Amino acid sequence: MNNRLLPFDTIGEKIALAVLAIFVVIFPLMNTLFPADSALHITTFQLSVWGKYLCYAVLAISLNFLWGYTGLLCLGQCLFFALGGYAFGMYLMLMIGDLGAYGTSLPDFMVFLGYSELPVHWKPFYNPWFAVFAAMWVPGLVAFVFGMLAFRSRIKGVYFSILTQALTYAAALLFFRNDFTFGGNNGFTDFKFIFGHDIREASVSRALFWASGFLLIGVYYLIAYLLKSKFGLVQRAIRDSENRVRFSGYSTTHYKVFIFVVSAMIAGLAGALYVPQAGIINPSEMWPTKGLDIVVWVAVGGRGSKFGPIIGAVLINLLKSYTTRVYPESWLIILGLVFLLVVLFMPNGVVGLWDQVKAWIQSRKADPPATVEPQLAVENES
Amino acid sequence: MFIGGKLLKLVALLVSVYICASSALHAADDQARQVLVDLVLAEDDAATQASLDKLGELGDEVIGQFVAAWRVGQVFVDEKNGGPVVLMQVGEGKYENLLTGASAAMSADAKIDRASRKLRKDLRRIVDLLDLKSPDYKKRIAAADKLGKTQNEEYLPELRELAAKQTDKKVKRAFDEAVAISELKNGNEDQLLSAVIELGELRSFGARDYIESVYQDAQQADEKNTSLIKSCETSLRLIDERQKMLDFASTLFRGLSTGSVLLLVAYGLAITFGQMGVINMAHGEFIAIGGYTVYLVQNFFIANYGVDSDVYGWYFAVSLPAAFIVSALAGALLEKGLIQFLYKRPLESLLATWAVSMVMQQAFRLKFGAANVSVSTPEWLSGSYDFFGVLMSYNRLSLIVFAILVVVVTRLLLSKTSWGLHVRATMQNRQMASSLGVPSARVNMLTFAFGSGLAGLAGAFLSQIGNVGPSMGQTYIVDSFMVVVVGGVGNLIGAAISSLGIGMIDQGLQPLLGPVMGKITVLFLIIIFLQFKPGGLFPARSRSLDD
Repeated sequence: MNNRLLPFDTIGEKIALAVLAIFVVIFPLMNTLFPADSALHITTFQLSVWGKYLCYAVLAISLNFLWGYTGLLCLGQCLFFALGGYAFGMYLMLMIGDLGAYGTSLPDFMVFLGYSELPVHWKPFYNPWFAVFAAMWVPGLVAFVFGMLAFRSRIKGVYFSILTQALTYAAALLFFRNDFTFGGNNGFTDFKFIFGHDIREASVSRALFWASGFLLIGVYYLIAYLLKSKFGLVQRAIRDSENRVRFSGYSTTHYKVFIFVVSAMIAGLAGALYVPQAGIINPSEMWPTKGLDIVVWVAVGGRGSKFGPIIGAVLINLLKSYTTRVYPESWLIILGLVFLLVVLFMPNGVVGLWDQVKAWIQSRKADPPATVEPQLAVENES
Repeated sequence: MFIGGKLLKLVALLVSVYICASSALHAADDQARQVLVDLVLAEDDAATQASLDKLGELGDEVIGQFVAAWRVGQVFVDEKNGGPVVLMQVGEGKYENLLTGASAAMSADAKIDRASRKLRKDLRRIVDLLDLKSPDYKKRIAAADKLGKTQNEEYLPELRELAAKQTDKKVKRAFDEAVAISELKNGNEDQLLSAVIELGELRSFGARDYIESVYQDAQQADEKNTSLIKSCETSLRLIDERQKMLDFASTLFRGLSTGSVLLLVAYGLAITFGQMGVINMAHGEFIAIGGYTVYLVQNFFIANYGVDSDVYGWYFAVSLPAAFIVSALAGALLEKGLIQFLYKRPLESLLATWAVSMVMQQAFRLKFGAANVSVSTPEWLSGSYDFFGVLMSYNRLSLIVFAILVVVVTRLLLSKTSWGLHVRATMQNRQMASSLGVPSARVNMLTFAFGSGLAGLAGAFLSQIGNVGPSMGQTYIVDSFMVVVVGGVGNLIGAAISSLGIGMIDQGLQPLLGPVMGKITVLFLIIIFLQFKPGGLFPARSRSLDD
């Protein structure tokens, strides 16, 4: 059980992971194996929708890694996601070639803005692997610089949250500008080719789904592995009492910067896979409210649990696609109320619900009744 | 001139039920009307000239109106029992009796009366000079400015003559300026030189281009007039220096007013976040509540009193306390229903209030529509005050005054009242205060309500300078948090200083970088600033490790 290469806690977790893996493998196959009129057939559209959910799940995991396990509530996770998306989007824009509306080798918006040649920082993005790599190191670099600045001066708790939101806000304003060479408020869209294939092909959708699924499993494994290690213990110790960890001789600043960078890189990768499946990336993806959306997924699913963010991301997005279709006007109210209930009454989210119910039943049996304590210690508890 | 009068038949003249507002009667007006009628009905050149001379002495609005109508063929003569009546068209199918200004009907037989070419030219001159004699000093200034800039020689003697007559300092200046500008072209060499010097001394911005062209000509002339060139340079320098000073002053004013906006929106947050430790992400929605309250009060006034009534202008004065009360009540409700459970969990309060903000925004959208609603500016807040050439709009000025008022009142409330003492005690140590008998639950609720009320007030004021819409608060929420963090959490004076500082820097950078880049730069500057002063300008001192 304590094998370091199998860092899983319970049988249940292993089963859940196996189910996830089977789902990831089987789901795209249902697109190709069953004929279009079969009940088991999955359309290409459904495939890309679920592919996006998987990317969201990866994004939620990256936030949970920061917030659930280190106590750093980052409201700017959407920024890293969008940066990754933009990096890969640049490659996709270049692959349009001369099939754009203006028929030149430049992306349409550049022609529109009067560019005569490709800006220098766009040139390496002809190489897809450079783009994938950039989807990791660009968010990583931003997180490194910002993390260094923030953690060195011991900005923490809500101040960290507010500052990450300000950073995201500033970045979004920047990306909304036309002269920032990233397409202004229209962003990138109308992609045509990816790795030499037509992006609308069903096989491309299947490949992207698999890539997202394997990324999810890989990231899950990485996080689980880190949590099992000594590193993970220090990480959770920082969450529970940073000062004690620092007094024990650990440089909490370095730990936090490292965690922040890893989390940003994961979010960037998720964004890179999201963009070809969504078919568009624009600055509204990094608007501050998006960052809070991710927080909702994690909180609803259950922060500080390994499966919680995946469940939360998928659940909330399913709910969203259902309610925006059936009750388009009440969607935000429903989301707000659900979130409010979770914050007030389910500190451990959907995943923690079972334990909460068990504890409640036990407390009813026990005499005198004991109160249910939230299992997560919170920073700044006075 | 008048030729067709004798052919006109008699027609009944009906007096309409209402009298045009524009034809309010007074003695001078009557005189002008009489002269105009004489002019139209004049039989020979001598009579025409006499009327024209009289007109030149008068300065009434009706003259301009009449001349405009005459030129496009909207003046008619109706022969009626007793004598001819001159009618002027004042609108589609609406006529007035020129002599009395009363509305009148016109028969089909009335004849269009037209002025001769020479008369038209004479009249044009009179009309141009008309405004120079207007009793309204603003019109006189505008007319002098306009005529001066035409540099038309014809007007110069008239301008000179009138300039000497002006007593008001402002008007005199305008006339002098006009004379000088005209002299730049029409004057002899001495007049030109003195005009250049005078314009420099007047720091006339309007004359800058004219002096510049005189300067260019003087430089290119074969015969160099060194004294002229020199005085041109001096004058241009003087004007430019004044321009720079004014630019600086107006940047300062804009910075002050932006700072006041920030202060108003952030002050409520400085209380709820800084004093109480509640991260209220719904703060922006309380601002929106204030804005919508103004909108509702306005609609109430429109429905009950109408837009034209005198009372309507006061709707804004009524909506200020209303906005405060409504948002304070909403704040009290939020505190009782939600926040009081989250005092020990600041991150959860952030999330819960964000959920509230989402619900409230959507509720606004459902109730008032997704588009912005329109809120009008009352008359006493529109317009601007000219402070030595710096235009200060009244609503921005009142914003600044109001911001100072909010700071002072809040300060007094916190330091002089027993409620303030309780607030400070509770904020320092909630448990200790409550064990010493401070009703901390009530104090919390009142404090939160007060902070929310301030947000509502801010929203009421923002309705005058920005849009009122479901997401109006979102625009300010990030800025507000920045203000509080930079000022030092828990320090109200710090929040006031930081909002002014951020406002100034923002407005100072905007001319150089544009609004968006300016804002981005400010945000990055704040992030860097917090590197050196993580606790803000006035960090709260505490021995507690985890503060």
